Amino acid sequence: MTFLITCPNCGPREALEFSYGGEITRRAGPGSSSAELTGYLFFRENANGWQTEWWLHRDGCRMWFLAERHTFTNEIRRTYPPGSEPPVDAQAPEGAA
Amino acid sequence: MSGRLPARPGEAIDRGRPLTIDFEGRRAPAFEGDTVGSALAAAGVTITGRSFKYHRPRGLMCMTGACPNCLMQIDGIPNVRSCTEPVREGMRVERQNAWPSVDRDVHGVLDSFSFMMPPGFYYKVFQRPRWAWSKVEPIIRKQAGLGKVPRTEDHEPREVVNLHADVAVIGGGLAGLAAAAEAAAAGASTVLLEQRREAGGRALGSADDVDRARLVAEAEASGARILLGTAAFGVFDGPVVAAVGGGGLQRIRARHLVFATGAVEQPAVFPNNDLPGVMLSSAVELLVNRFRVLPGRRAVVLTSNQDGYRAARTLRDAGADVFVVDLRAGAGSADGLRVIPGSTILSAKGRRGVTAVSVGAPGSATGQSIPCDLVVLAGFSAPSTNLLAMTGAKLGFDDDAQAFLPVELPPDVHAVGAVAGARTVQGAIAQGRLAGLEAAAAVGQEPPGAAGRMEVLRAQAAERGDPVVLPPEVATGEGKQFACLCMDVTSKELKAAAAEGFDSMELLKRYTTVSMGPCQGKACMLSAQRLCARAAGSSFAETRPTTARPPWTPVELGALAGWRRTPRKETTIHDLHADSGATFMWAGDWRRPHHFATPEQEVEAVRHRVGVIDVSTLGKFRVKGPEAVELLERLYPNRFGDLAVGRVRYGAMLNDEGVILDDGAVCRVGDDEFFVTVTTGNTAALERWITWWLADWRLDVRVLNVTGAFAALNLAGPDSRKVMSVLTDADVSSEAVKYMSASSFEVAGVPSLVLRIGFVGELGYEIHFPSMYGEHVWRAVMEAGRPFGIVPFGLEAQRVLRLEKQHILVGQDTDAESDPFEVGLGWMVKADKPDFLGRRALEDLAEAGPKERLVGFTCDPSWLPPEGASVVHEGVWVGRVTSARRSAAARSVVGLAWVPAGWAEDDTEIEIQFGGAHAKAKVALKPFYDPEGARLRS
Ligand code: FES
Ligand SMILES: [Zn+2]
Repeated sequence: MTFLITCPNCGPREALEFSYGGEITRRAGPGSSSAELTGYLFFRENANGWQTEWWLHRDGCRMWFLAERHTFTNEIRRTYPPGSEPPVDAQAPEGAA
Repeated sequence: MSGRLPARPGEAIDRGRPLTIDFEGRRAPAFEGDTVGSALAAAGVTITGRSFKYHRPRGLMCMTGACPNCLMQIDGIPNVRSCTEPVREGMRVERQNAWPSVDRDVHGVLDSFSFMMPPGFYYKVFQRPRWAWSKVEPIIRKQAGLGKVPRTEDHEPREVVNLHADVAVIGGGLAGLAAAAEAAAAGASTVLLEQRREAGGRALGSADDVDRARLVAEAEASGARILLGTAAFGVFDGPVVAAVGGGGLQRIRARHLVFATGAVEQPAVFPNNDLPGVMLSSAVELLVNRFRVLPGRRAVVLTSNQDGYRAARTLRDAGADVFVVDLRAGAGSADGLRVIPGSTILSAKGRRGVTAVSVGAPGSATGQSIPCDLVVLAGFSAPSTNLLAMTGAKLGFDDDAQAFLPVELPPDVHAVGAVAGARTVQGAIAQGRLAGLEAAAAVGQEPPGAAGRMEVLRAQAAERGDPVVLPPEVATGEGKQFACLCMDVTSKELKAAAAEGFDSMELLKRYTTVSMGPCQGKACMLSAQRLCARAAGSSFAETRPTTARPPWTPVELGALAGWRRTPRKETTIHDLHADSGATFMWAGDWRRPHHFATPEQEVEAVRHRVGVIDVSTLGKFRVKGPEAVELLERLYPNRFGDLAVGRVRYGAMLNDEGVILDDGAVCRVGDDEFFVTVTTGNTAALERWITWWLADWRLDVRVLNVTGAFAALNLAGPDSRKVMSVLTDADVSSEAVKYMSASSFEVAGVPSLVLRIGFVGELGYEIHFPSMYGEHVWRAVMEAGRPFGIVPFGLEAQRVLRLEKQHILVGQDTDAESDPFEVGLGWMVKADKPDFLGRRALEDLAEAGPKERLVGFTCDPSWLPPEGASVVHEGVWVGRVTSARRSAAARSVVGLAWVPAGWAEDDTEIEIQFGGAHAKAKVALKPFYDPEGARLRS
């Protein structure tokens, strides 16, 4: 946890200032099956590669935002506020070897 | 041997400043500039410690802090490397690891019984029988200890320092100095980390100080920041280089990293290669040239390159008798030195120090015996690639260097000097300069004319030096041949372990503990790797070095822990509580009054008159915006759309598992504005929780944590209305300020939000007001309440009061699996709402029905069951007590407990048990005090 994360508000800051919110999930709301519910609550992709995940700038502006991080190298290629998803570029998320 | 050689220019000691150190109760003379190791060597101390397992005598070997031999207890701190520790007047130095003394160690007999400690000893001996471990372990601990842990607390202030630079150079040898000098001179902000207290690296011991002196001066003049005594021990992602030194932990973040970590000189493996008097050439050169101590009068130098000849000349010029044993068959006599070509050391002899070596052709059984008191192993080395490898650099075997060298570097990482395979001084310096220029150029600081210079440097940097010739992996003679001095692992043990199937470095390391000692593999990697290859029937080139992990140098835990600090939060009324003699307790990060008088007196006052408690620590949120109702409707299972302005509703937040996260009051203070309180210890987590969902749902609401902005008091008791009416001009009659209302008016002249709610079960007012008026309002309340006998009350009284009302504390009475149905909050779940957090899970939970219930109970006050006491049925555990207190009002113990759902009926008999004690108890579903809540509403 010594890499930098670029807060969409504040710019690059030490990862120590942030709290991790986990990979993005699809919430199982009303009408979903029990399997969908348990999948949402207890199962994660746990990707070895690029992952879109939540971060909170806890010791800064306290904004929740999304980051695309490579879980093996900790490289972060993009951070953005939810709802402002940038257009998917040519480079599709790839798994690490 | 003792005493000093005549003075020479460039020596490290200042003969004009003598001082004295205390060595095991004796006075040992030293000079300013000495290290403990050099001073002891000058005083004739040749045994610096005893080995870890066999308690064999050991002496100075490297003088550079790279081996385990000289660890001593210095001024109470264990495991200090005496060879690099500067002397201070009066410092107390003791050798470790020996009883009764290092010079006469009774455990030394272990050496003769070493068959008792086969490789994998720790794994094998203590698998079976299990009981044996507890018997043997304390003995081994005592024997194998590394110094004594100091008993006193460490109050050293240790800082964490963050450094930012364009270029960080790790290692202050010649290559590192050159890199730093170039980068800084070009205008890049540059830091150089050097673990020793002087820069120069290998050149420090050199008789000829010209290159070093010039480069040090150049680096200093360049403006590079040079941190001496600062040892890099790890590279983490970012990348961040972590180092210890300068009184703490340094975290260095730089755009370019230049690794100039050098190489560590390695011993050769032959019988008794661990005897005191067997040294590396680095130690000999430093002792003679820097500290002016001659470590031996009759020396044998084993080498295959110029390093050995340099050491031999140094010794000869200092007056020693020298033989050079050169591994190369073609070596001729040089410089008038006596050279034995094509030979190696077959074995060494001696007990407390080396007395002779046998010299002959590699592999031969017998050789010529040469009496000597010093053996110098010169010019075998292992590049210090560990830190480099932590960046993700790839290593490959280099035949010429007989070593693993970096072959692929991550972007913005450079490797220069011996770590990159340079074997000549000029080559190393050229590599350093080139990397410095390249790094500077990459950060936009390319000096004029750099291109031309880089061209020249590139050619010089390619110069590598002669191919390396290593001594045989192992010799043929009798006696222990040590591969790893830290853990006392011999070649034979490695061979046995490999035969058992542990034939890769990673396995061998774990099984035999080779390279896992205090030197972190610095002094044994070459031997261990080559022996491993030999035992496995493969070649050195095919072995894979073990994964590099931090720390590369030993780090005091204190440096990582940083300064000892316990942050605490205090309310703005804290000082008044302290003045009135409150006993404080921790409540999360807060310090809160546990009691003022006695909890019993405080309970009595609240029940019969009036009391006041400081509840400023309550988490408070202001929720405002056109979609505030929508947000709350989704966060809570309760309904809030129908909550009128000026009204309060009790609510609990759930997660999507249907588990209760927190509970508190939700007050509607405007059409689109709410004031929400949450449990003290949960505030930060709930702020994260609420804002997270808000970010996901993107509703038009703002949520502000105003916990610190508002102080709060809970004024409670039958007389609280009378006190209120003294404090305010507002109408506080039960018609004007109704139960569960939220009204804004001035209290003691301070604009306040007054909630008529009652956690303690009496008529009461929770008064929220700007925290800066904390003391003022508190004083005013105490003043107004005096005629009514008001008392301040603490957390303990509050706990009794709330328990008498069966008000739950989330986290105390509930856990990570408690849903609202189980704790009797099913009424707040509005299943007809379209959605809220937990709704989907509650559907399943409601259908299954609760298996367990949280219920009240009473029992005889002769025994107070502790929290966590078991609820048992016919000897079987069926539940547990979460809270229990003695209640004067109920004349019994009252509490809450989890029981099987079928038992949640009034008067069900349950049995509570803890330790040897037990009690019969009865379930009581209604509050023990004022079950209808008449007092609350009054
Ligand atoms: S002699 Fe001190 S560490 Fe090697
Ligand atoms: Zn921010």
